[in-house]
Formats: sequence, C-alpha cells, structure tokens
Amino acid sequence: MEQIILLIPGIPIFIAFLLLFINKKELIPKVSIMLSSMIALLGLYGTYYVISNDTQIIGFDGLLVYNELSAILVPYVAILGLVIRKYATKYMWDEEGYRRFFILLNFIFASIYLFVMSNNLIVLALAWQLLSISLYLLVSFNVGSNTAVKNAKWVMIIHKAADLVFIIAVILTYQTFGSFDLTILSEKWLAMSHQPVDNPMIFVIGLLFLIAAMMKSAIMPFHIWLPYTSEAPTPVSAVMHAGVVNVGGILLNKLAFLLLLAPAVLHIAFVVGLVTAIFASLIMLVVSDIKRSLGYSTAGQMGYMIMEIGLGAFSLAIYHLIVHGIFKATLFLESGVLIKLARHDSNLPKRLTYELFWEEKIKGKSKKLFKYLAFFTILPVVTFVGVKMILTDDFFELNASIIILAFAWLTGTQLFLSFFKVSKDESFKVLIALISSFVIILFTYEFIGLSLEHFIYGENAVLFYEAATFNITTIMSFIMLSAIMIVGWLFMYTQHFPKVFKTDKKQDNLQWSFYKLLAKEGYFFNIIKALQRKKNDL
Amino acid sequence: MIYNILFLILVAGMPYYLILEKIPAIKSKHIFLLSAFALLSSMMLSFYIPNEHKTSLVIISLLNSVYTLYRATKTTNFYKLSYYFIFVNSPFFVLYEGETSLYSLSLLLSLSGLYLIGQFYEKNYGSANYRYITGITLVRPYIGSYLTLYLISVALYPPFPNSLFFLQYILGSESNPLWFAVVITLFFGNFFLSMGVMKRTLFGRPNPNIHYVHMTIKEKVPHILIIGMLLLFSLYGLKEILL
Repeated sequence: MEQIILLIPGIPIFIAFLLLFINKKELIPKVSIMLSSMIALLGLYGTYYVISNDTQIIGFDGLLVYNELSAILVPYVAILGLVIRKYATKYMWDEEGYRRFFILLNFIFASIYLFVMSNNLIVLALAWQLLSISLYLLVSFNVGSNTAVKNAKWVMIIHKAADLVFIIAVILTYQTFGSFDLTILSEKWLAMSHQPVDNPMIFVIGLLFLIAAMMKSAIMPFHIWLPYTSEAPTPVSAVMHAGVVNVGGILLNKLAFLLLLAPAVLHIAFVVGLVTAIFASLIMLVVSDIKRSLGYSTAGQMGYMIMEIGLGAFSLAIYHLIVHGIFKATLFLESGVLIKLARHDSNLPKRLTYELFWEEKIKGKSKKLFKYLAFFTILPVVTFVGVKMILTDDFFELNASIIILAFAWLTGTQLFLSFFKVSKDESFKVLIALISSFVIILFTYEFIGLSLEHFIYGENAVLFYEAATFNITTIMSFIMLSAIMIVGWLFMYTQHFPKVFKTDKKQDNLQWSFYKLLAKEGYFFNIIKALQRKKNDL
Repeated sequence: MIYNILFLILVAGMPYYLILEKIPAIKSKHIFLLSAFALLSSMMLSFYIPNEHKTSLVIISLLNSVYTLYRATKTTNFYKLSYYFIFVNSPFFVLYEGETSLYSLSLLLSLSGLYLIGQFYEKNYGSANYRYITGITLVRPYIGSYLTLYLISVALYPPFPNSLFFLQYILGSESNPLWFAVVITLFFGNFFLSMGVMKRTLFGRPNPNIHYVHMTIKEKVPHILIIGMLLLFSLYGLKEILL
C-alpha cells in the first residue's frame, strides 16, 4: 500500500498529459490543483509512514526511495506547488499559452520530485537534466520578449554545463565504486570513512558534484543566470527561487557520505559559500533594479546554504533551504498585492519596525548608547554559548560550531541594526523585543537543526562536523570569534558616528572603487561584453 | 581499414559538401534522404562486419563534426539542418561503431520530424527556410510543440531516447582524452544548434507580414506517429539504462 507513494513523480506528468486533452480553459487549473492536492496528501502520508515506522519506502527495483530526506522535502515542494498553481490560476489567465504554462509547471515539479526521491545516480542525472530543460522553457515562457529569451539563454548554458559536469561525475563514481545505487554507495562510503582514504579520484568526484551543485544553485562565479531571469512570470520566479535553486543543497545532502571521504571539498564549499554569501548580499544592497536585487538575495542565501554544508551542517542546510524557499516564494507571490496597494498609498511598503516603534534618530554621541552596543553584541554570544553548552558537551571541539555561533551573532546584530532607529523612550520595549527575537532565532535554529540532524542522519551527523573541521584549536577559534566581534563593533560604531574614520581622500577613493565593483555586479557582464566585442572584431 | 574509410564516407559530411552540394540538380532535401539512407546502410554494415575503429578516423570525423557545426550555425534551412545534425554526430557513430544503432535510429526519427516540418514550410511558405517565420509557439502552438519536442530530443535532453542511448553508451565506456573531446563536442554541439533554431523559430514576436498556416489533420498524423515512436523508444531506453 505504501508503495503508492513512489508514484508521486509520475502524477505531475500524468496531469501534464491530461491537460493536453482539456478544452475548457477554466478546467485547466482545476484539474491541475485537484490532482496536485493528491501529491500533497500522499507526501504527508509518506512522511507519517516514515516517522511512525522508522523505515524507508523503496521501490521500482530500488530506483526510488521515500526516506527521511524525501519525508521532509516532498510535502514542502507539494504544498509550495499547490500555492503556486492556485496563484497562477488568475495571474496567468490573460497570458498567451495558459495551457502550456501549466504543462511546463507540472513537468518541472515532476523533475523536482524525481530528483528528491531518486535512489540511483542515473535517475538523479535524468531528473537533473529534466529540470534544466523545464526551467529553460518556463523562463523563456514570454517568448515574444527578446530580453526574456536572451536571459533564458544564460540559464540554459550554465545548466547544460552543470548537466555535463554531473554526468562526468556519475561516470567516474561508477568507475570508482562500481554501483549507481545510492543506498549501496552510501553504505560503502560510510564504511570507508572509518579508515584513512587516499584516493585522489574521490576528491575529483566530490569536486565535480560540488561544481554541478554550485551551477544549479547560482553560487559565484556561476550566479549570473539567476538575477537576470526576473522577466519570467511571477509564479515561475517563485518556483525558481524557492525550488529549483535548492537542488544543489539537496544533491550534496544525498551525497553527504561521499563528502565525508573528501574533507577538502567541504572546505572548498565553505569558502565559495562564504564568498557568495558576502558578495551577493553586498551587490543586493547596491543594484538599482529591485528584481535583480531579489535575485542576488537568493544567490546570497544559497551561499549560506553551501557554506553550512561546508561546515558539515548538512541538515541545517535543508532547514535553511526550506525556510528561505517559503520566505522568498511569499515575497514573489505577494509582490502583486503590494504594487496594487502602493498605487494608492505612497508610504508603502512600511517597515514593521516603524509600525512597532516610531522613528526618531538619536542625535549626538552618547556613552550610554555605546554601552548598549557592547551589551547587545556580548549578550547574544553569551546566550548562545550557554545554550549550546547545555545542549551538547563537546560543542567546542568542532570549529563548525564557532562559525555557526558567529553567524547567529551576526543575525542578532543585524536585528539590532534594524531596530536601531527607534525611540530612546521605548528602550525597554526594544530591549525585550531584541532579546526575545534573538532567543527565538537561536532556539529555532538549534532545536530544528538538531531535530533534523537526528531525523536525517542519526548518530552519523557528528561525522560530518568532524570531517569539516579545520583542526584549529579552541583558543584560536575564540580569537577568531573575538576578531569578528571587534570588526562588528567597529562597523556599528562607524555606522553611528560616521565622521570618526573619514580622515583623508584616499579612503574615499577606495570606498568608491568598492562601490563601483558592487554596482557593476563584480564586472562579470563587462568581461563577457568585452570578450564578445573582441570576438566580433576578429 | 577500407571498411573504416567506407564508414567514414557514409556518415561524415565532407563528401557531401565537396560533391553533392556543388551539383545544382541535387537539392538539400535529397541530401538529407541520401545521408539518412547512408547512415542506415552503415548501421547494417556494422552488424555484419564487426570492426574496431581507428583513432585517426575518429579524429577526422571529429574535425568534420566541428566544421559541420560551423556550417550549421550559418543555415536557416530545415532540410540542411537535418543532414547537418547527422554529420555533427558522426564521431559518435565512428567511435561506437555497431553499438549506436538505437541512437542512430532515434536521431533519424527526430530528424525526420524536422524534415517534415521543412516540407510543411516549403509547401506553405515557399521554402524550408525559417529565417523570418518567428514566434511559432504563440501563433501555431501545435507546430511549436512538435518542433520543440524534436529539438529537445536532438539537444540530448531526457526523457527522449537520443539522450538515454547517448548516456547509456558513455556510461558503459572507458574514458580517454579523445572520448572526452567527442562527448563534449556532441553534448554541446547538438545543444547549441538546437537552441539556435529554437530561438529563431519558436521564440520571438510573430511576423505580421506572414500568414501563419495551420497543419491539417493529415499533416499532423506523421508527427504524432513520430512522437509516439520516440516515446516508445524512450520507454525501451529507460528499461535498458535503468534495469
């Protein structure tokens, strides 16, 4: 009976074929939504089955599996799919190619389900490629627009390159380990991880899979396809930002035990993730186009996700991609309503903090304020350390936790900055809001992260942290943490007293050059245009 | 050796460029039919005369493939494009001689579809040239769908059989630099050509100076049959590659 759950990837394909024969336009979304609800129900039943029986559902000769990872991701994708289909019902009504849109939407969801539920590298490769072509046809849905088609070309080129890298990695995996079955391979990789491994081919395979994941997840330098695809219909943007870009993280989770054997790949993942997170987030703040800004925001979040994987926090990456997906899909799907409201009220969009506390800038230097700054940066760290020490004894043995700690501190500081322009009179209210929001973030991250970790990887989870650790001493880690805190303090100080560091002109030039670098989106397109010009001249 | 050369003459494009394209009486649609027949003949030959390929011949066919790619980017004619696709894939036929019969068949099926679309264009728009007939997806969605499916198939995307058989052969073979060169050339060559055609036919605004014609049911039937056969091949390909 439970084997029926494995039919989930086939249902959207069945819907797509059914839509070919439906003549009434109103019936197209109805059929699509009704049958997609079945997927959501099946997914939820599957999750219940996996949790209650503590087992996996394997079928089709071991090609498909509904395991712990699928139990989390399939209901998420199914519910997201339902919301997007419902939204698209009216949003796409007047567009040419209504039926085509729903057919393509079902195909892309089929490929995502197949990808999540595959237990075989060939099935994974097929789903990986199906995803590429479905995405291309959806991104270029507005076929009459030259820019949409031109930007879709970038999507296609990068995704095709990702397909090739992925296929080569699959071939090398088969040649090295002799199987395509992920269950067999994972067991083999886990067994191998208990003793030292000295095979450079494993590093090459891990690196190839990482590069393929980076390409699909818009990690720098392969990010250029994502910010320029905003001309696609809004539901497509929602699918892309909440579903498609996540496949890199899902792939690396599926191959987590392989990466145990190649810690260098994890370190590379950490570095590229960190660079993408910082650089994409900075560009997001500078670019003038709001849709491109959202694209860079997603690229930055994907950077965080890959960085978490690089730290060995595989399950945290899954949590991150789900939370980010819900958040970004909501942003895209709400944009229409917001635009409509903004036409009537020029003060929109309002900031939540403005509604909670009225704006009143603090004037002049204040010693009391600086004490507050110190207080609010130390307090989160102390709380975090306290909580983590209670939760796990051997926390500080792994450097990953130090970086997660710094990440949590950054989040806390960011929260503080967003509440910064509030009234002095409401300081107690601010204090409570800050502390409570920080504690909520911390506990959500920690408890859900740990629960997911336990659910997906069980006792093996700690192995990933061990593999990802940089082997830096605890004292060194604390020094690094202190450095991050001091930089953070300086940043906040210069934010509040901007004249302190403005001493000469040279620094301004540097700042201006840095701003130009960000505003030109890292000069990626200038380089491409220069190369094209050179080619044309030849 | 003689057999290898014969094989190369049958599947690679150079002889066609040097001789057949120079003869005014022979039109591009005849060249497609001839090259398709030659490919089928080479398949039959390879069944009866088992032979090991020579590395030099693979290199020659690879160079020929790259040259064909260059020529194919210059054309906007469906007939020419159809036989160019055969020649682009020639290194694969030479490299996996005798084993690629299913890939060859599925490629020929997809190209037959393109050829039929070319015939439809010739009948209704005066020639098989698609240069100004843009935005097909918007104005004639059925023709757009057929063309999309053929081009996706040729561009080596699943679930179409070309991709499945291509994957099956490369998964089961030993890799070396020449192998990588052939696989990468074909993987991207077929893709870029197909995407170029998509851009110039399926996408873009419909041309207001052209009266876009619908396909009759009689004209649709061969396309439906071809797509049906491609899907049957896909099922077989999936069975072969997965089980």
